[in-house]
Amino acid sequence: MAGVQVANVSRSFGAHRALDNVSIDFADGGFYALLGPSGSGKTTLLRQIAGFDFPDTGRIAIGGESVERVPVEKRRIGMVFQNYALFPNMSVADNVAFGLSVRGEPKASIAAEVQRALDLVQLGKLGGRRPHQLSGGQRQRVALARAIVTKPRVLLLDEPLGALDKALRVDMQIELKRIQREIGITTIFVTHDQEEALTMSDRIGILRDGRLVQEGPPEEIYDRPQSEFAATFLGDANIFRGDATGNGIRLPDGTTIAAASGPSLAAGARASCAVRPERIQISTGAAKPDADNANTLKGQVSKRIFAGNNSTYFVDRDGQTLKVIVQNTGAERLAEGQPVVLSWSPDSTVLIAAG
Amino acid sequence: MADQHAIGSRRGLKPALPLLLPAYLWLTVAIFLPLSAMVFFSFMTDLPLAGREWAFTLDNYAAFFSQSLYLTLLLASLRLGLEVTLWCVVIGYPAAYVLAKVLKGRSREAIFLLVILPFWSNGLVRIFSWAMVLREGGILDTALNAVLPFKINIDLMYSYPAVIIGLVHSYVPYMVLTCYLTLQAIDDSLIEAGRSLGASRRQVLWRVIIPLSMPGLIAGAALIFVPVVGSFMEPRILGGRTGTFYGTVIEDQFVAVFNWPLGAALSFILLAVVLVILAVASPMLKRAA
Amino acid sequence: MATTRILEWLGRCYIVLLLGFLYLPIIIMALMSFNASPFYQLPLEWTTDWYASLWQNDQLIAATWNSIEIAVITTVIATVLGSAASLALYRCDFPGKKVLQALLFPPIAIPWLITGTAMLIFFFGIGIGRGLVAILLGHVALALPYVLVVVSARLQTFAPELEEAARSLGANQWQVTNRVTLPWIMPGVIAGGLFAFAVSFDQFVVSYFLSTPGQTTLPVEIYAAIRKGFTPEINAVSTIIIVVSMALMLLTARFFKFGGEK
Repeated sequence: MAGVQVANVSRSFGAHRALDNVSIDFADGGFYALLGPSGSGKTTLLRQIAGFDFPDTGRIAIGGESVERVPVEKRRIGMVFQNYALFPNMSVADNVAFGLSVRGEPKASIAAEVQRALDLVQLGKLGGRRPHQLSGGQRQRVALARAIVTKPRVLLLDEPLGALDKALRVDMQIELKRIQREIGITTIFVTHDQEEALTMSDRIGILRDGRLVQEGPPEEIYDRPQSEFAATFLGDANIFRGDATGNGIRLPDGTTIAAASGPSLAAGARASCAVRPERIQISTGAAKPDADNANTLKGQVSKRIFAGNNSTYFVDRDGQTLKVIVQNTGAERLAEGQPVVLSWSPDSTVLIAAG
Repeated sequence: MADQHAIGSRRGLKPALPLLLPAYLWLTVAIFLPLSAMVFFSFMTDLPLAGREWAFTLDNYAAFFSQSLYLTLLLASLRLGLEVTLWCVVIGYPAAYVLAKVLKGRSREAIFLLVILPFWSNGLVRIFSWAMVLREGGILDTALNAVLPFKINIDLMYSYPAVIIGLVHSYVPYMVLTCYLTLQAIDDSLIEAGRSLGASRRQVLWRVIIPLSMPGLIAGAALIFVPVVGSFMEPRILGGRTGTFYGTVIEDQFVAVFNWPLGAALSFILLAVVLVILAVASPMLKRAA
Repeated sequence: MATTRILEWLGRCYIVLLLGFLYLPIIIMALMSFNASPFYQLPLEWTTDWYASLWQNDQLIAATWNSIEIAVITTVIATVLGSAASLALYRCDFPGKKVLQALLFPPIAIPWLITGTAMLIFFFGIGIGRGLVAILLGHVALALPYVLVVVSARLQTFAPELEEAARSLGANQWQVTNRVTLPWIMPGVIAGGLFAFAVSFDQFVVSYFLSTPGQTTLPVEIYAAIRKGFTPEINAVSTIIIVVSMALMLLTARFFKFGGEK
């Protein structure tokens, strides 16, 4: 097992710059998500690490060994494909055995290892089946068993759960995580699903237009996004744009918003603030907001969406629509058109330099 | 994302060459060079073989344009192609429609296979089999005289109709195949939608079904017309003395008269006609494929 | 909907008529090959003499062997070269690929009369001349596009990820082709091979121009006999040919859906 280092990797297809000077370190044994919208370069990056394609410039190392010109079959990686890519002409056991058999391992030891891998993914009894006789979730497990049976140095997953329905997805997320912990393999997976990235990974890398936007643990990216894109792509955020004041920003209408975290910016520079919808307190003028809620704004409810355990309010304020999520505690519900006061703490506010 | 994926995984020409070269070299030696050579020889007085005198000339093409015989025969062949194609449409299209829209499931598959099976069997032998049927004292003659109260003499053998019948028999499965493929792709709900909007069966047929199956009709027509214009074996066997067409004249140049340069010129003129037809039909052929 | 019923019934009757038109002459020819009267007189007097006398006809038997030999060699060469080329066209992307694919069309679409006479001229010009070698050269070229088209159609249903998956598991190019790609396209390769056999075995026009009296194929021999005059022997050998070629196509249909993949 081994870590993966990607350093200054660029790759263009014709005029299109699919990867633009991307550097990222994947530590040994970690579980990483590469998150981004389609066309962001996340799959291209995964394919560079796998060795299906080579970078124009830059370095890729697996376990400290440079591999950027080594073809995929010599990299000792394991890969799970979006549509599983199980060989239809082979049984489940033969699929799993494939990687061992092309290496010329003796038959007896192959059989034992295949059984162990199938047991690990809880498909011990289905070795004789054909791929088309399996359910989506079962195919997923076979693909995983096939990828790990060769003891690869790193496991790569390309939208592995994309083809499954929601309930099965959640099960597989837990299952995948369990297996990854059990064998302790460095795992990199590509997804466009932010929830999946948040719940499964130790660290997340967000990509956009071929560049790495931000990288870090899920909590850090969620709480302290460094760009408007990171703030809005991973979770929901209200964005205010204005001029930096030293400890926050001043909106065009003179209102100031204080932020406790973020870079220190010269006063007067263009900047924005992000605040998560669930951190905002919404009240009618009568009730007093919490003491630390130094940021307050007045507005008017334009729409309310009831979703059982919570409600989302859309509040109009000076031409901007803000989003507020309120837990359903049985307290009074606000009517559409009602004037309200929004308030939140500077601790919940992140200052972002204008990109 | 999808195309990046494709571009990223596909390799260039270099790894493809060793796999491609043998096949395309073979095609070059046995198809493309011969076709070019034919053009070349068509401008010669004689074959450039050892000891023979030859020179470049336009005489072979002059012969085509100065002797009305060749032009007449080419027109006769084109007319033959047109007639056979029309008959194939008239006979094949309804059959394709029944196969695609009336028959269902296994019986459809089986009958479809039965219809196109003869197309892939030996064409020469199938033409020959009509000789049994059409000649005087043949099956058609005997059968009709057995049923009819009066005596008639059916001797279609060695006549223009015999050539038409044989060629239609040879090529109608092609029309059924191409029309079936396009008809089958037409969603039944389109037909129902047409009916629900108040159109009669006839209106639905003319304004929905036929326009949508046009690519199949055109493709079928091109694939029938072209070989029929170049046919020579069928007119020879079924047409006898009346079966002189452009194709049989070309055959004669090569196997009887031994005027190869003239044969090459005649062949090349036919090729030019064929290429023009295929070029006109090719957008439709692509859509039908 | 009574009208619909009647129309559908009429449609079925029409198909039966069409099948009658397609098969009647063939059936009659087959029956006549068992008729004792050499002038095809009815009623039919059953005999197998004409089949027996085929065995005495050395010329026909020699031509039959030539046909079979050429068809088998054509099948092997065209299938191997055609499948290899389809794989290359599937796997690789390069400028001019569209042109290469379009080049497969002329050999199928240009009338065999033109191709055949062109081959005759060219092979004579470069010294190959007429004969079995020339016929084989021509047959392979005619069969190649069919193999390429059929195998490529099968490859269209093959997911490129399967090759990538195999490579990611450590398989080299040869192992990928041999253990993943070939097993998947095998039905297409077999169908392509059967097409190649049929194209060669049934080929008349091109063989006709390229054959010489000693070196000829069965269809050419039959054509010569037909032009000399009908004999029931020709019926017999024709019946055998038609049965063989139809059986071949039925076999092909098991591997290749003529109606397109559904």
